[in-house]
Amino acid sequence: MTTALASLAVAQDRQGGPSPLALKAGAGIVLFALWEITVRALAPEYVARPSGIAKVFFSVLTDAGFLEVAAATLRAVVQGLAISVVAGTAVGLMMGRVSVVEHGLRYYVNSLFATPMVAILPLVTLWFGYSADTRLAVVVFASFFSLAINAADGARSVPPEFLEVARSFRARPLSTIFDVLLPSSLPYLLAGLRLAAGRALVGAVVAEFFVSIPGLGYYILYNSRAFKHNEAFVAVIVLVAAGVGFEASIKWLMRRYMPWSRRG
Amino acid sequence: MPRRNWILYATMFASLALGAAAWELAGHLTSDAFWAPLSTTLKSLGEVVHNGVLLRQAASSFELYLAGLALAVVVGAPFGVLLARITWLRVALEDYIMMLYATPMVALIPFILSMMGFGFAPKVLVVFLFAVFPVLYNTVEGARSVRPELIEVAHSFRSGEWALWRDVMIPYTLPFAMTGIRQAIARGLVGMVAAEFFLSPSGLGQMIMMGSQNFDTASMLAAILIMVLLGVGLMDIGLYLEKRFAAWRGYNP
Repeated sequence: MTTALASLAVAQDRQGGPSPLALKAGAGIVLFALWEITVRALAPEYVARPSGIAKVFFSVLTDAGFLEVAAATLRAVVQGLAISVVAGTAVGLMMGRVSVVEHGLRYYVNSLFATPMVAILPLVTLWFGYSADTRLAVVVFASFFSLAINAADGARSVPPEFLEVARSFRARPLSTIFDVLLPSSLPYLLAGLRLAAGRALVGAVVAEFFVSIPGLGYYILYNSRAFKHNEAFVAVIVLVAAGVGFEASIKWLMRRYMPWSRRG
Repeated sequence: MPRRNWILYATMFASLALGAAAWELAGHLTSDAFWAPLSTTLKSLGEVVHNGVLLRQAASSFELYLAGLALAVVVGAPFGVLLARITWLRVALEDYIMMLYATPMVALIPFILSMMGFGFAPKVLVVFLFAVFPVLYNTVEGARSVRPELIEVAHSFRSGEWALWRDVMIPYTLPFAMTGIRQAIARGLVGMVAAEFFLSPSGLGQMIMMGSQNFDTASMLAAILIMVLLGVGLMDIGLYLEKRFAAWRGYNP
């Protein structure tokens, strides 16, 4: 009853004021205006500003060279994530269900998860050289451990009754894994994937900074050195769009197909 | 049951011993530029501990890290609680905060470099940018969970603004802010190393870099090992903080 009253009150409040959409749009205009004014007043000519970015936005986005580097970065992120999803899920499910594996690997997985991925860049570069393989390796390193940890959490949280039923029906081990374990820990896997995707994007960009291979990160580095900040910022926008798009699509997937799960 | 525990501890020790042995062996089997044995790594670690380089570089890193992190918490948490109180401002800004939370902040480092140069301030800015949005984002998420009834009740009892903050807003958003601070602790560390790598070399990042440039793999691995231990220690502190305040969430769904 009180909840209903309170939400009614909130609804009435909202009716009195401007709509949320107008508020959001207004805030966007104010933020961009502040950015534009600050840069015009204080910063040198080359610094990125909304009007400057708007001017170059479409020419950069339709430039074949830019599309190529954007595709290179995003492809590496997707490939790396795919490797991590398969390997991380396998390792994580084992850790969650087999206590010997759990106790054997726990320290390694947890401490490498906590390691800032940037720190291992020089080492990975020694191994894979100044090539796209380094980027892929960094993306895998950045994403693998969060997937493994979440898969382990998911496997641990599988209700024991499910496994008992599977045993009563003499389910084969493979079908227990694919029909019981995996679907039941799916929300955890998606939560892990959400975290991993953000880290993978960061991993790809730092790797490109470090080894100077064509990609969005290197595009930013190169253009900002050439004092073309507006062009460089378009690459940042693409990265943000990729990050937000991924985050939003996983949220949507979870709400659409797993409404019972409340994670994330 | 005790027998089972014993087996698990044995597994743990066996796995650590196996890891150490594999590390040592890999160092002997591969070229020096690829991987260094554990013994050489530990010797090189002993050297930097002994001659004070580690302490000096760690202090420099920590100064940067703490400055950026403290700034992020001091700015992020109060602003988040403010957004909890002022609904229209929260509605206006939350999507932008979410967007900045999802932005890979490393991408901004080249801009910061070319605008601000090599000093201490741009590096603090990098750590700050890495750390502030998790705090802000999670605090705002918490703000959405403050039930309007609580504020109604506080108003009915004629609570002043200060009492409302003290008894409702801060206790309700703090556990969420702590989740944000835990994430900020981890992200800030990434920011610290990135700043030390890509702005001007200093601190532990410089130690890793120097080792790799001199093909001194042992000292590079020693510095990375320190980084791993630092990461684990900081993550434990973050998890402790989060757990400590999690009880305040009460019967939150």
